[in-house]
Amino acid sequence: MTDSKYFTTTKKGEIFELKAELNSDKKEKKKEAVKKVIASMTVGKDVSALFPDVVNCMQTDNLELKKLVYLYLMNYAKSQPDMAIMAVNTFVKDCEDPNPLIRALAVRTMGCIRVDKITEYLCEPLRKCLKDEDPYVRKTAAVCVAKLHDINAQLVEDQGFLDTLKDLISDSNPMVVANAVAALSEIAESHPNSNLLDLNPQTINKLLTALNECTEWGQIFILDCLANYTPRDDRESQSICERVTPRLSHANSAVVLSAVKVLMKFMEMLPKDLDYYGTLLKKLAPPLVTLLSAEPELQYVALRNINLIVQKRPEILKHEMKVFFVKYNDPIYVKLEKLDIMIRLASQANIAQVLAELKEYATEVDVDFVRKAVRAIGRCAIKVEQSAERCVSTLLDLIQTKVNYVVQEAIVVIKDIFRKYPNKYESVIATLCENLDSLDEPEARAAMIWIVGEYAERIDNADELLESFLEGFHDESTQVQLQLLTAIVKLFLKKPTETQELVQQVLSLATQDSDNPDLRDRGYIYWRLLSTDPVAAKEVVLAEKPLISEETDLIEPTLLDELICHIGTLASVYHKPPSAFVEGSRGVQHKRLPARTGSGESAESPDVGQSVSVSEAPPAVIPSQGDLLGDLLNLDLAPPTTNVPVVPSSMQMGAMDLLGGGLDSLMGDDSETLGGDLGGSPAMGVAVGGAPVTMPAVGGGLGDLFDLGGGVGMTSGFYSPPKTVWLPAMKAKGLEISGTFVRRGGVINVDLSLTNKAMSVMTDFAIQFNKNSFGLSPAGPLQVLTPLSPNQTVEVSLPLGTTGPVMKMEPLNNLQVAVKNNIDVFYFSCHYPISLLFVEDGKMDRQVFLATWKDIPSENEAQFQIKDCHLSSDAASNKLQGSNIFTVAKRTVEVQDMLYQSIKLTNGIWVLAELRIQTGNPSYTLSVKCRAPEVAQFVYQSYELILKN
Amino acid sequence: MISQVFILSSKGDHLIYKDFRGEADKDAISVFYEMVTALSGDQPPVVMSHKDLHFIHVKQGGLYWVASMKINASPFTIIEFLNRLAALTKDYCGSLSEKSVRMNFTLIYELLDEMVDYGYIQTTSTDILKNFIQTEAVSSKPFSLFDLSNVGLFGAETQQSKVAPSAAASRPIMSHHSEQGGKNEIFVDVVERLSVVIGSNGVLMKADVEGEIRVKCFLPTCSEMRIGLNEEFSIGKSQLRGYGTSVHVDECSFHQSVKLDEFDTYRILKVCPSQGEQTLMQYQLSDELPCAPPFRLFPTVEKDYGSRLLIFLKLRCDLPPKSTAINVSVTVPVPKGSLSLSQELSSPEQTAELQLKHKAVLWSIPRFHGGSQLSALFKVEVPGLSSASFLEVGPVSLSFELPKQTCTGLQIRFLRLSPTQQGLSQRWVRYVTHSDSYTIRI
Repeated sequence: MTDSKYFTTTKKGEIFELKAELNSDKKEKKKEAVKKVIASMTVGKDVSALFPDVVNCMQTDNLELKKLVYLYLMNYAKSQPDMAIMAVNTFVKDCEDPNPLIRALAVRTMGCIRVDKITEYLCEPLRKCLKDEDPYVRKTAAVCVAKLHDINAQLVEDQGFLDTLKDLISDSNPMVVANAVAALSEIAESHPNSNLLDLNPQTINKLLTALNECTEWGQIFILDCLANYTPRDDRESQSICERVTPRLSHANSAVVLSAVKVLMKFMEMLPKDLDYYGTLLKKLAPPLVTLLSAEPELQYVALRNINLIVQKRPEILKHEMKVFFVKYNDPIYVKLEKLDIMIRLASQANIAQVLAELKEYATEVDVDFVRKAVRAIGRCAIKVEQSAERCVSTLLDLIQTKVNYVVQEAIVVIKDIFRKYPNKYESVIATLCENLDSLDEPEARAAMIWIVGEYAERIDNADELLESFLEGFHDESTQVQLQLLTAIVKLFLKKPTETQELVQQVLSLATQDSDNPDLRDRGYIYWRLLSTDPVAAKEVVLAEKPLISEETDLIEPTLLDELICHIGTLASVYHKPPSAFVEGSRGVQHKRLPARTGSGESAESPDVGQSVSVSEAPPAVIPSQGDLLGDLLNLDLAPPTTNVPVVPSSMQMGAMDLLGGGLDSLMGDDSETLGGDLGGSPAMGVAVGGAPVTMPAVGGGLGDLFDLGGGVGMTSGFYSPPKTVWLPAMKAKGLEISGTFVRRGGVINVDLSLTNKAMSVMTDFAIQFNKNSFGLSPAGPLQVLTPLSPNQTVEVSLPLGTTGPVMKMEPLNNLQVAVKNNIDVFYFSCHYPISLLFVEDGKMDRQVFLATWKDIPSENEAQFQIKDCHLSSDAASNKLQGSNIFTVAKRTVEVQDMLYQSIKLTNGIWVLAELRIQTGNPSYTLSVKCRAPEVAQFVYQSYELILKN
Repeated sequence: MISQVFILSSKGDHLIYKDFRGEADKDAISVFYEMVTALSGDQPPVVMSHKDLHFIHVKQGGLYWVASMKINASPFTIIEFLNRLAALTKDYCGSLSEKSVRMNFTLIYELLDEMVDYGYIQTTSTDILKNFIQTEAVSSKPFSLFDLSNVGLFGAETQQSKVAPSAAASRPIMSHHSEQGGKNEIFVDVVERLSVVIGSNGVLMKADVEGEIRVKCFLPTCSEMRIGLNEEFSIGKSQLRGYGTSVHVDECSFHQSVKLDEFDTYRILKVCPSQGEQTLMQYQLSDELPCAPPFRLFPTVEKDYGSRLLIFLKLRCDLPPKSTAINVSVTVPVPKGSLSLSQELSSPEQTAELQLKHKAVLWSIPRFHGGSQLSALFKVEVPGLSSASFLEVGPVSLSFELPKQTCTGLQIRFLRLSPTQQGLSQRWVRYVTHSDSYTIRI
């Protein structure tokens, strides 16, 4: 007789029959009946009606029957709470049974009956079982505390079960220890701040001892618990590592991974020059390699973890490239993961081998895999510069196969290679163009269009090529449409004469015939740019683009560190922090790698650095490779922060018209996506107001724009020119610096905008000036406190002193600056307006002025014309005073006003000036007299600037 | 911590369902089944999630073994556990099938109850479990010594059938009544898997061996078993002993029950085998095969007149003359659009066919003696044959079995049981190497 027949009863009234059988006197019959009930339960039939009858079978000395009844109880007690009470007496009695199996069974089952009313009856038996003489009962009771805590946490605390549980950590039986640790760990997670698992060197020692004796599953609990401990110093860290290392050769991969987690975490505390650090690195490689010989399911999970480990510590597996070569019979998901790791491990040393493999893969049958292999070749080129040439030729070989998806994939990656090594491999463009017709995927089409637009000047028939795409413009995907628009605008800027018609066509297609707001907005921006200021348009659209780097696909460092703390868990498979996929309080705790602590400076409390922080913002994830093209699109729009010319308020009415209603929508709807970028569009300037507007060159968002507008509108402020780019990103590995000088409240400041246009985070900024004519030097350190993430801009104001070393520069106002960050040191020079040095107490006494004027020889006098100035003499005087040019006296002769003015420089040099203003004549005459005649030229420039702005 | 464990048939029938923590619905089963059947080929099936419930499953014996969880659990733990659950089910029920699981559902529930408590895994060892388990296993078919239909190595999935004279692999380990001919038997298998890549110029680019020693024990009591390996067995890349005769592996890991006190000096593994199946030792070797790779290929690919592609293959078996490879199959990828195949093979027992779905020619050789050479000529009709089509031919992959062979040369010198077993106790040692991934590039 077999169990399978239990599944086959379908008769009506079977419940009735079962009821009779359950109440039978014969034990065998009862047992059979309970089995039938459980079979029905498994397939999902409702047999809860039999509850009282089944419970009646509970009182038996037959263990097999008892187990079956308990199985039923666990399933249905919750739906029948009142009747569940009936079972309580038996439970309590069973907990006193001489047979430990029955005691354990009772306490285990009671905990699984999640009925509130039962819990109070549970306490006494549980208390006894926690102190039972049999370890099997104790280990079951330990788990029962966790069960009870889940039902009624307060009760567990009130009854003091937590303390008993803590005592069990010191139990003589390792199984009991392991379960106690597991239960405490789970309870502790719902009370993040309780010090339940009081981890200190003594308990850690106990755990490490139990580790050697308990079952493999117990070892996992203990290792996971150890991973939450933060050692006091590197010595403790090392000694724990030494005792955990033997677990690496365990046959159970879960034990191995938990050990790897502990080691990866504690390694963080070891000094890298320590011999042991190197030993440990070596020991980590073999177990990871061994995981790859497991069945595919485990391999996949292992590869996801190795992917993290390789990003954190590439040195561990740098010699193991070969094990990641794919086998022809690997499942596709394993192949793809292996490929990813191969790229991460690729270096100059092994690139030849890797490329040879990738080339083989690119001819395989599986389409997804082939695509990824082709893409991988491109990533190799970007990662290992020396291999770029070989990669490109490999890609060309692949294009020759004419296999459709290979060609498309190759073109997408060649575009990336162009972005990394501009002006190096353009010779291949001809080959690419031959394959234009076979491109049917949007990404490949967009890439090809980008290439044509970017290198339009070298492709004779670029206009024809782009025109051919334009025919089906409305059928293309947005990606292609946007790219086509940009490419044609580029082409127009490069070859304006023959492509005017084309650009008009695309602009009207984009702005008038399209419903896509992104496309329309971009079309309008280009249109206005082109119609108002083609030069600016050129600078915006054809600006140099920052290079892409291989780091694009790396996991962002803080996220990576968190994931390393979760090695061997679901988080490491999803590559997401637990908070992203675990509900409730259990996922909230962020774990961090411990900071390095020397043994000399051991922390006071063992909890220092204990990794709990709730308020941490979720770390941002860097766009994956797929987003590159998106970046590309944005890049074209982003103002390259070169000098965008200032648009005078008297802009032609034509331009105003053009703006029309479009502007509102621009500002209203899309300020989020475009806000930052719009700074470059002169059209915006007009919108902001009638006041003379200076455009901030750096895209600081619309907010900045308004601030600045307001600030400049005031007449009496110090005039500060708009920020200009001093250090373009191209020359500084992605760091772009623009700035301006300003005098605020008698203090000279340099206002800087640092923009990270690279793909990696920048830190550790510092600044230094070379000796200069007026001894300008930073009065404090450069205050860039937080690391600068990619695409982020930080504004800093650096106060300057004038007491630095002096050396006469050519030109006089030249300033050479060195800026350092974690990547390199960069040098640039800039010119400061001399008005910066005009001090507040520069008003000379009339008599002294007169005497000095006479005293300075007339050959020191310089005369300049200031043209096109329409201010009255009073207005001019006011304006100049804002910049510390003081009018000592004013004389009016007929229609001519003469202002006598004095200026004092920071180094004590006096400059005297006479400004003649004739009513009705927009041309002023400025005479400057100074003992240091070389200053005169710069004083004149300052006048010009101040009066005209 | 596991929320639920369930076993489903390939058709989605619920065979076993156990909820450990009461935090997830029973609907999870159907949610899982829908997800797993809707997966496309390239999606990793191992870990799946639905809302905040995560599923991990393995497929064994045509059944889905699934665990669900709500927390950030360790997938390694779960996969190891599910594999162990399947292995234990097989040990207890004799074989692994929908039928055997159905027949023994109470036993499996009982096992699950002891193995997992509130989602915490307690134990998976037969030695401990047998103290608690009350239910008797029901064998799916009456055991007969004469029924040799499903004889085979339990460690390797092979079709070869003349290795062991026992259907040992498919009977329950713990039969209380021994009328089923419960013999005192112990099997020790050395199973190696070979991965080789040979470059187009004939250079051996990669050669890895993954091996394991597995034991299946039917002895009711056995205090200790001593397994002696080759004395010249060495581990690690640097530690070379002697001149070439040594048996050498790079890495070794052992089951935790294996005692290694005599291993360093005498290369003896000491173990008290639990009843059932266990992997005692796993090892691997990369790049340094002690012998030549078993197969070499000399291909010629030419364009015949018209649109015909000629593929001429000479395949040499470099095994020692007394050895034989069996079930050799050679897969040769051919260009897309290949229409038909005509072939010339050197013996009638070989077959070749064009598999259009896989764009490949499959050449099967049932037996292949060491030291011999076979050749085959394939004429493939490919419309629109171009020079690029040649790139699509290859790499050639082989699968095969090498009975009674180990690539590393690992041998078991002796197998001693103590105390000496009363009566009949039979000890079997078997060796097999089979291909994992054997690729020859053209």
